[in-house]
Amino acid sequence: MARTLIRRIAFGVIAILGVAVLAFLLEFVVPGDPARAIAPRAQSAAVLENIRIQLHLNRPLIVQFADYFGELFRGNLGTSYVQRQSVTSLIMPRLATTGWLALAGVVAEVIIGGALGILSTLYARVRAVVAAVNLTLLSLPQFVVGLVLLLIFGFRLHMAPVTGGAGPAEIVLPALTLGLVGAPWYAQIVADQMADSLASPYVRTAVAKGLPDRYILWRHVLRNVLSPAITMIGMDLGAYLSGVVTVEVVFGWPGIGLLAVDSLQNLDRPVVMGTVIVGAVAVVAFNLIADVLRMYVDPRTREEPA
Amino acid sequence: MSAAPAMATSGPGPGSQAAALEVDGLRVCYGGLPAVDDVSLRVEPGQVAALIGETSSGKSSLALGVARLLPSSAIVTGQVEIAGTDLAELPAREARRRRASLVGYIAQDAMAALNPVIPVGRQIAELFGVHRGMHRAEAGAQAVRELARVRIDRPERVARAYPHQLSGGMRQRVMIAMAMALSPPLLIADEPTTALDVSTQAEILGLVGQLQAETGSGILWITHDMGVVAELADVVAVMYAGRIVEQGPASDLFDHPMHPYTQGLLRTRRDLRTGRPGAPLYQIEGSPPALSAQRRGCAFAPRCARRTEICTERVPELMTQDQNLQAGNGPSGASPSRPLAAAASAPGNASAADPPSSRRPLGPAGTDLLTASWLAACHHPEVSS
Repeated sequence: MARTLIRRIAFGVIAILGVAVLAFLLEFVVPGDPARAIAPRAQSAAVLENIRIQLHLNRPLIVQFADYFGELFRGNLGTSYVQRQSVTSLIMPRLATTGWLALAGVVAEVIIGGALGILSTLYARVRAVVAAVNLTLLSLPQFVVGLVLLLIFGFRLHMAPVTGGAGPAEIVLPALTLGLVGAPWYAQIVADQMADSLASPYVRTAVAKGLPDRYILWRHVLRNVLSPAITMIGMDLGAYLSGVVTVEVVFGWPGIGLLAVDSLQNLDRPVVMGTVIVGAVAVVAFNLIADVLRMYVDPRTREEPA
Repeated sequence: MSAAPAMATSGPGPGSQAAALEVDGLRVCYGGLPAVDDVSLRVEPGQVAALIGETSSGKSSLALGVARLLPSSAIVTGQVEIAGTDLAELPAREARRRRASLVGYIAQDAMAALNPVIPVGRQIAELFGVHRGMHRAEAGAQAVRELARVRIDRPERVARAYPHQLSGGMRQRVMIAMAMALSPPLLIADEPTTALDVSTQAEILGLVGQLQAETGSGILWITHDMGVVAELADVVAVMYAGRIVEQGPASDLFDHPMHPYTQGLLRTRRDLRTGRPGAPLYQIEGSPPALSAQRRGCAFAPRCARRTEICTERVPELMTQDQNLQAGNGPSGASPSRPLAAAASAPGNASAADPPSSRRPLGPAGTDLLTASWLAACHHPEVSS
């Protein structure tokens, strides 16, 4: 198990580095001059050139690359072009804010999706309804779901704030948006796994043992659903932490996604790099956590691969 | 453990002492097609009854039908009494409560039949928790004792293991311990040794023999392995295409097989044992009919070396070793032949092929095997799911 973990961590580090390199190169493909973005009204070529020299933008790409990754290995994400502040100090509070939203969103997904999946497996009568709901939610883009929720609960019913922010009242609608859009995936995986499990010889054994239906459902069937669900929760947490851009923009949730969008518009390259790298770390970390949890709930995954 | 008859009195059948298992006219249909067709058999307490047949002859459907473990898409009709109790007559909750005390089911593939994410000790212990109201620790200790009973070394350690951490033989022992935990009067073993290597097979057979001597349960042992039958069985029923074609005491059946199919099965085994090296093994030509195949007459007829015209028209009577009946429809070696009664048509059956005048042949064990009735029963089940 320790060997498996070490190998997974090594692969994770390689993946993060790959993402960082790719992001760095892509930033130079994006057209636009950061100097002009920083000083839009300073038309004088000398001023712009001065800014470029300050930011080392006049050096060859390979030198900038070496500089950036040299600092990165020392844990330094650089300084924002626009805000004159270290990227780390910009990102960290945003990461926490997004973390809360990611967590709330995943909880909503699991509850909504799990309920839909269990209902459609156990009650044949609601199966068609659940399938229709799933298909509808799947075909709706996040921003549509978000805007509809905002219109109904915010502007019509005045049950939720519409002004943006990151408080406990503001989190409800964006989390619900993530939950609704993500729910069909969980509903599907829960329904599939439950169907497999219910048709399996071990459930037949449990029936032969005269165990009550509810006992079989909770102890024998749902335990076997847990493992793939945990994998998906890990993937979602990582993905959401790396930026739920659409939802943050729609609801004005001041998270890392909003920061990434603003920085991209300002051509604030160090901040964009920072959000990409932090996102990659989050994805790798939560997948790893999910793997470890999976080993805990499913003993078959504990053995070392030969 | 007291003698077997004590257990058989739990639910006395009308007028007679209850058998461990009494099956009468059992029929299992999937989508209108009969996998088990009008099967009757009886297992006495303390007896091992072997049910032999090829793959897809309906053995497993019979086993699951007896234990009422088939999915609701399967239509099961006929009567099944386990120690005098018919599970189908009880309300669902009551049937569930009593099933594990009446019948233990040992599945073919123990790996698949055990829950992969629950330690095996826990899987046995939950029986005592649910049925005996034991607390977790108490039930766990009882589970360890059950594991020791099936001759598992260091049962405490094994109790904490997950199924995939055990060997095939160990898993099957766990299955047996689980099936016998509540000391049911009937055990159904569905090819429990098929997936095991030969020496483990022998261990399991020996174990089951010993345990049965201790508990006096009746065992319905399903297999396609004649060697297992010879080792263990008191009585044997031979199944072909969903029907029992011959049954009787094991020794008689081995010495004087009457049905051509049984004779073929035994010959394949004899060839394996005594055949010269390099000599071709005997095999029964052809393969069993598909479930969906049109059925008229004897299902074995297409493969039977002794078939005559009559075979395609009617089903022969059940062969029992008690009566010196001739096998099949055709002429047989030394046994005195008795002309079969003409096949009868079921009342109200629409088949045009039925002979105009017909008598109703009464099978030896009250089983009249009518060509036409299977279809009628599957399409108009008395009991619907």
